[in-house]
Amino acid sequence: MRSSSAFNEKPYRSIMIVTIVAFLILAGKLVELQIVKGNYYRELSSRNHIRSVVRPAPRGIVRDRNGVVLADNIPAFTVSLVSLEFDSTNTRLLGNLLRMDQERLRERLDAAEATPYRSTLIISGLTVGDAGRVADNLYRLGGVSVDVLPRRRYSYGSSFCHLIGYVGLADSTRVFEGELSGRTGLERILNERLAGEYGVIREVVDAHGRVVERFLGEDVEPSPGENIVLTLDSRLQSAADSLIMSTGHEGAAVVLNYETGEILVLSSVPGFDTNHFIGGISSENWNNILSDPGKPLLNRAWATAYPPGSTYKIVTAAWLLESGIVDENTMPDPCYGTFHFAGSDFRCWSTHGRLNIIGALAQSCDTYFYRTSMLGDMDEMAEFSSGFGMGAPVTGILPGEVSGALPTRELLNQLFGQGGWGLGNLMIASIGQGEVLATPLQIAVTAALIASGGELPPLSVLKNESFSEATWETNTSEDTYRIVREGMREVVSSSQGTLHQSMSYLPVQVFGKSGTAENGTNEDHAWVNGYIEEPMPVAFAVIIENGGHGGVVAGPVAAGIIEKILEISYETE
Amino acid sequence: MKRNEKTDWFFLVSLCLLLFLGLINIYSASGSQKSLFTHQLFFVLAGVVIFLGASVFPLRFLEESVPFLYIFTLVLLVLTIFFGTGPAGRWLQIGPAKIQASEIAKLCMIVLSARWLPALRREFVTGGVPLYLSTVGLLTALTLLQPDLGTAAAMVMIIFGMIYWAGFGFNWIFLFLSPLSAAISSIKFVSWITFTVILCAVLYRSASRPRRWVFFLIMTSVIAAATPSAWGLLRPYQQARLTTFLNPEADPHGAGWNVIQSKVAIGSGGITGQGFLNGSQNELAFLPARHTDFVFSVWAEEWGFIGSLFLLVLYAVLAWRILVGARHSLNQFNSMLAAGTAVFIIIHIFVNVGMTLGMMPVTGLPLPLITYGGSHLITEMLLLGFSYNVIRNWRSY
Repeated sequence: MRSSSAFNEKPYRSIMIVTIVAFLILAGKLVELQIVKGNYYRELSSRNHIRSVVRPAPRGIVRDRNGVVLADNIPAFTVSLVSLEFDSTNTRLLGNLLRMDQERLRERLDAAEATPYRSTLIISGLTVGDAGRVADNLYRLGGVSVDVLPRRRYSYGSSFCHLIGYVGLADSTRVFEGELSGRTGLERILNERLAGEYGVIREVVDAHGRVVERFLGEDVEPSPGENIVLTLDSRLQSAADSLIMSTGHEGAAVVLNYETGEILVLSSVPGFDTNHFIGGISSENWNNILSDPGKPLLNRAWATAYPPGSTYKIVTAAWLLESGIVDENTMPDPCYGTFHFAGSDFRCWSTHGRLNIIGALAQSCDTYFYRTSMLGDMDEMAEFSSGFGMGAPVTGILPGEVSGALPTRELLNQLFGQGGWGLGNLMIASIGQGEVLATPLQIAVTAALIASGGELPPLSVLKNESFSEATWETNTSEDTYRIVREGMREVVSSSQGTLHQSMSYLPVQVFGKSGTAENGTNEDHAWVNGYIEEPMPVAFAVIIENGGHGGVVAGPVAAGIIEKILEISYETE
Repeated sequence: MKRNEKTDWFFLVSLCLLLFLGLINIYSASGSQKSLFTHQLFFVLAGVVIFLGASVFPLRFLEESVPFLYIFTLVLLVLTIFFGTGPAGRWLQIGPAKIQASEIAKLCMIVLSARWLPALRREFVTGGVPLYLSTVGLLTALTLLQPDLGTAAAMVMIIFGMIYWAGFGFNWIFLFLSPLSAAISSIKFVSWITFTVILCAVLYRSASRPRRWVFFLIMTSVIAAATPSAWGLLRPYQQARLTTFLNPEADPHGAGWNVIQSKVAIGSGGITGQGFLNGSQNELAFLPARHTDFVFSVWAEEWGFIGSLFLLVLYAVLAWRILVGARHSLNQFNSMLAAGTAVFIIIHIFVNVGMTLGMMPVTGLPLPLITYGGSHLITEMLLLGFSYNVIRNWRSY
């Protein structure tokens, strides 16, 4: 059949119409993308190829009161990788160059695959040597780059591990990968101030992230974090650390200036090297810390409450005087070594005979306090003690600071039930046992309040900055202070004083109080607290865990610290 | 046969401009790999020679050679399935040349349909429709297995257009496409029932004889029943390819990223474009497959709305001139051949440009005459040569 041209007329028209409509649809979409949204896409396009590179700000430097650097920054190297450009057959080579566990490397490579076009951090904190090995091989490791990132360095890592803490990779990356933030201690509390503001430089890059040119004129330089000066003295802190270590026990020491409120020493032994934590601690180091019988993660200076033992007697004595139960000359019945009361034996550590309150403090006679405190009221004693910083955090700002405990009717009813306890609990509490618990920091504060006559300023660990808001309401008369101070002087000066042996040799007058705190079936905790007036007004507290007798074990440690204070003040003069 | 008809300047100028613009665009898109441009220049020159040859080739010989062409194409397709190379396994290495068999399958299918459809339309041949369907179906199925779903889909659309051009009514178009519809409807029982009801209605309306009823009902049922097990025979990556085609959002990191970058490139071209060799999306390599699938995005970024529209108009003129030639032609094979070519061009433009604009799924369909590569360019130049032959010799039969 030979067709006429009319044969194809209808299909021709339909197909032409369909074609025109199809082309109009395409043209319409072009109008939308190129004319209506042209500027929007142009903007997207420029963002596409102008890359902002974050320049991390150096973190603020932490110094001690004498300008000794405790935490600063050193340049460290990071290795990053663009997944799309990385040849996975090079995984083994990269692992070997980085001395990185293949499994951990694989984990990071998987993470990098999630953003195949962008650079992902593989490892940070490399030394020049490690980074150099990778840099030498960059030519055969497509997609891999080496960058510099400031790394935190702790010069006294172990000594200040609890106070300064450490930095780690930020939980949620706010701005850039590899960003650090303080994880513990002051690094965490003061993170905003220490972190600084990151800078930004702009580069024109191609789709593979290769820098084509520098985009000049819009750079923002990083502004370094604020430098922080602590009130602490690293020389004293180190001395305290090694003195505690020399006892062979764990322990803690606190020294503070009671005229300024500045804390000079916050020692907790053993510590751990915070440098291990930067950029993630290795499982080996972590297990070492966890399996250390000395429990280095435990912060003993302000985050652990112990029975204070007889160091608490300076507070009890002030309370007895202030509430009128005793005066300077009150001499209760003599101490026979054991006090029988209500069918129980309340034991004293020795046989002291008849003593007034000064002698009772000097010889730390428990019987004196049993016989007198039983005339008082438990809630009143707790109320009075809380004015001396007991039973509540004294700074409220130090990380993990604990309250300790003071026995009240309410607390004892909770613990033992109504009628499940008696006057014996008050008598035991009066010698710092039983339900009384306090941190070494609190015990140092009680001595500081006695020394300053209740005029202790708020405590601080930052130079020229009041750190805490806590104030003290001791409501105690000057006479009471005088008598308690006299007792504390006798502790050292009197030949029968419990600290006479260990501290009387010092060329300055020490006002002290020892404590030997019973601690279940374990060896007693050895305590000492007190203060000196010369050469500088400092109060102190020392605990040696399970050390035994306070005067014998803790006394020499406190004496050693005072020796160091003398040495330092002679140097400055 | 009468010779020396008037030259169709619209056709020739559009074709030359498209080839020239395509070349300079490949020059820009090839970035630092200037060897791509050299290759493409060679392909274009070879294409021009083939165009000239095809434009004077006696089309009657072409019509007679359909069985040979068909067998040759089948062999190439089967070889590619077993020995295919390249990223998607769609290329067949023969000596130094790489051939994409699915491009030749399109050509074969157009020539085959051009010969058979008018015959089927003219007189009823017993078993003619089933034979045509299975012949074309085999070509499409083998193309699908390349795997090249995009080309297979384009082939179905071209068949659709050619059936329509041959003068079959919509009832017939429905019947011709019923094997494919049956396969797709087998996804759900409800959709298969719906399809079968419509099939019965169409058969009834076209006053079919019992034999045709029996054929279509049995054929579609067998296909619908066999489709799930055929699906099971596909390898997982082939299944993934099919599902990604149907739902491109499912793969945002792959195809989705490409489309986003393509839209950014096109949009940032604005009205006048960023200028030749100045498209940042292209020059900085943000555009993926920028000398192949997304070659239009490069053009649109550098030449803007005006350039894009100009390109579309050139294609439209080309398609229009071919359709006019097809309408005028007195020989049904020639008319069908040219119409098939026009539909081929239109579908490729719409699918490829639509893809770069984010309106169509991401497939490997090339932009005719412009996308880098020899196989499709040679195929297109061959078809355009035949079409120009038809335009000039419309009187012949």
